Amino acid sequence: MIYFALLILVIISYLFYFIGKKRALNLKFNGNIKLSSQPDYFGYYVVLMALIPALLMWFGLLLFKGNFQEMFVMSPILFPDISTWSDGKLGLILNKLNNLSVIVNLPLDDLTNGEKSILNMASENELTAAKKLANFDKIYGWSNLTLFIILPIILGFLATRSISGKLNAQPIVEKIITYIIKGSSYIAILITIGIFLSLVFEAINFFRYVNPVDFFFSTGWNPNRAFVVDASEGFDKDDLENAFGFIPLLTGTLLIATVAMIVAIPLGLMSAIYLAEYASKRVRDIAKPIIEILAGIPTVVYGFFAALSLAPFIKDVGESVGLPVSAESALAAGLAMGVMIIPFVSSLSDDVIKAVPQSLRDGSYALGATRSETIKKVILPAALAGIMGSFLLAVSRAIGETMIVVMAASLRANLTFNPLEPATTITTQIVTSLIGDVEFDNPKTLVAFALGLTLFLMTLLLNILAITIVKKYREKYE
Amino acid sequence: MVEQVNSFAIKTKNVSVHYGNKMAIDDVTINFTKNDVTSLIGPSGCGKSTFLRCLNRMNDVIESCKVQGEFLLNGVTDIYGDSIQVETLREKIGMVFQKPNPFPKSIFENVAYGPKIHGLASTQSELNDIVMESLNRAGLYEEVKDRMDDIATGLSGGQQQRLCIARAIAIRPEIILMDEPCSALDPIATARIEELINELKEKYTIIIVTHSMSQASRISQRTAFFHLGKLIEHGDTSKIFTKPDKEQTNDYITGRFG
Repeated sequence: MIYFALLILVIISYLFYFIGKKRALNLKFNGNIKLSSQPDYFGYYVVLMALIPALLMWFGLLLFKGNFQEMFVMSPILFPDISTWSDGKLGLILNKLNNLSVIVNLPLDDLTNGEKSILNMASENELTAAKKLANFDKIYGWSNLTLFIILPIILGFLATRSISGKLNAQPIVEKIITYIIKGSSYIAILITIGIFLSLVFEAINFFRYVNPVDFFFSTGWNPNRAFVVDASEGFDKDDLENAFGFIPLLTGTLLIATVAMIVAIPLGLMSAIYLAEYASKRVRDIAKPIIEILAGIPTVVYGFFAALSLAPFIKDVGESVGLPVSAESALAAGLAMGVMIIPFVSSLSDDVIKAVPQSLRDGSYALGATRSETIKKVILPAALAGIMGSFLLAVSRAIGETMIVVMAASLRANLTFNPLEPATTITTQIVTSLIGDVEFDNPKTLVAFALGLTLFLMTLLLNILAITIVKKYREKYE
Repeated sequence: MVEQVNSFAIKTKNVSVHYGNKMAIDDVTINFTKNDVTSLIGPSGCGKSTFLRCLNRMNDVIESCKVQGEFLLNGVTDIYGDSIQVETLREKIGMVFQKPNPFPKSIFENVAYGPKIHGLASTQSELNDIVMESLNRAGLYEEVKDRMDDIATGLSGGQQQRLCIARAIAIRPEIILMDEPCSALDPIATARIEELINELKEKYTIIIVTHSMSQASRISQRTAFFHLGKLIEHGDTSKIFTKPDKEQTNDYITGRFG
């Protein structure tokens, strides 16, 4: 229903654009009236006037649909003890009624056995309520549709009639458009703030159980200790000492990210230099998309590549030269991750190098510099800001990467800087703390939010650093 | 007009240039006398810039460009031959471009770039001397001596172009090619560059492409007129601008076309 209504709305606005423009042109040429805006603006004016109230009302109806439903069916007549229900129970019942309302009016033959048993289990009052709800939905749908058709048409005609020599449509239209684009950017900002705040609040919840100093500075990570103590008895902070130490996760993350960057920076940068400066156009046209495919491979594929092929291989090689290598070494995860982020480095650096003006190359060649001298002494310094930017982007990608490390890195926290040993990362631990039967009043679960917040702040810091560096060099080079 | 064989900085014979299938230069033969300023003039697209870029092989990097004909440096060295490396060639034939293109480095580093690459200075003080001398000769030293470490792109357009000239003469070339060096500059900056060119011709052979006929008549001793890839006329500037042999030259000079 709603899609149909939206389609009609699009058609209506399309028509109103022409009606508005036509009327403006009519006034101009047949009525000999001097218009204060271009005819196009009168078209937009009518469309906006017709559309905006309808869309606002639709949004309002959508927002308060639940409340309307509640007012409509949740009467004390059907549910006598309703005043004693908690908000949670109210929501659950409403949800159940919503499900019932879909099937309650269907003929019995069309129902699956599951659906029949749901109907049988429902009480008489619930069925009555569900039927009422179905009626409500029907009315709600039709009123939406009417709203979408009648209201815009009326408003549109009113707006068309109001077009005259005195009406200056341009500032009105531009103001409304400004509000719309402003609103869009505010929405993006608000969502970011919302996500950040939800992290903060849950993290605060976590820190009610665990001392922040303990979390950030202790070196023991044994989150399962939180299960030993029964949550109902409350946690003694001493019990959780050394259970949630963030340090081994941080070192593990940095270790694996470092391995990844050691792989990705030289390979990515050199392939960027080759592609931008040495490769013929044909080679470049073929090679660049192929390298970029690396970025399109799902990370889970890298994950089992690392876990099933790379890790055993590294173990075999290591043992053949007498090095003790763990089966879940940080090296394997880091290598796979490094391969994954090569295209981030190479593609961005390639673009940056290509963007260095040809005139600088010409200037260097004309002074008798060879190609490699030109690259080393003119092009790379000029492109440095962008190249650094691509490195930092790759680092923050490496730190935030989850799937590869979940599959290839270890789950055991290990405070080490030896890439041949197992290590775990922040993201891996976030995943493990949230899978399985989870309760949201246990620090073992809540730690995910504290870890997420820390990770968020880390990548934020990296991005700020990247922007600062880029800015600093840009000022210097332009 | 007495000319000896060894008084030519560059001799060319039967030069043709193609971009893909398109002919840009058609059978041009021209010799450039030493320590003269030679202007290449002609309407847009006549091939004068293309010809200029052939002289220090700047067209090498353009894949579709094919150069034929004979180019001799100082009457002996084949510019396109195997006996000379393109880097060595460009050490002898410097170039200044239409748009000033200083490197995004300090003023000092810009001028020191060439000497460093070609190993012209064995000590830092020698390098300092070369940089100072080049800037001096380009008439820029007094303006920048207190800010040698400032970024070169912060200079004005005219200063940037003189810096590019300083950069070119820092490697002590014999010949300087200039591709419309004043077209991006204002009249005052242009006058300074013209003055500079006049001084530089004492030591260097200068070949300059220009759109401005008044500029050609002011600064050059010799002038070559190109049209549609052909060399129409070449001779003393005074003669070209007063009594040209060819009607076409006369038409262009007097502004009847082009």
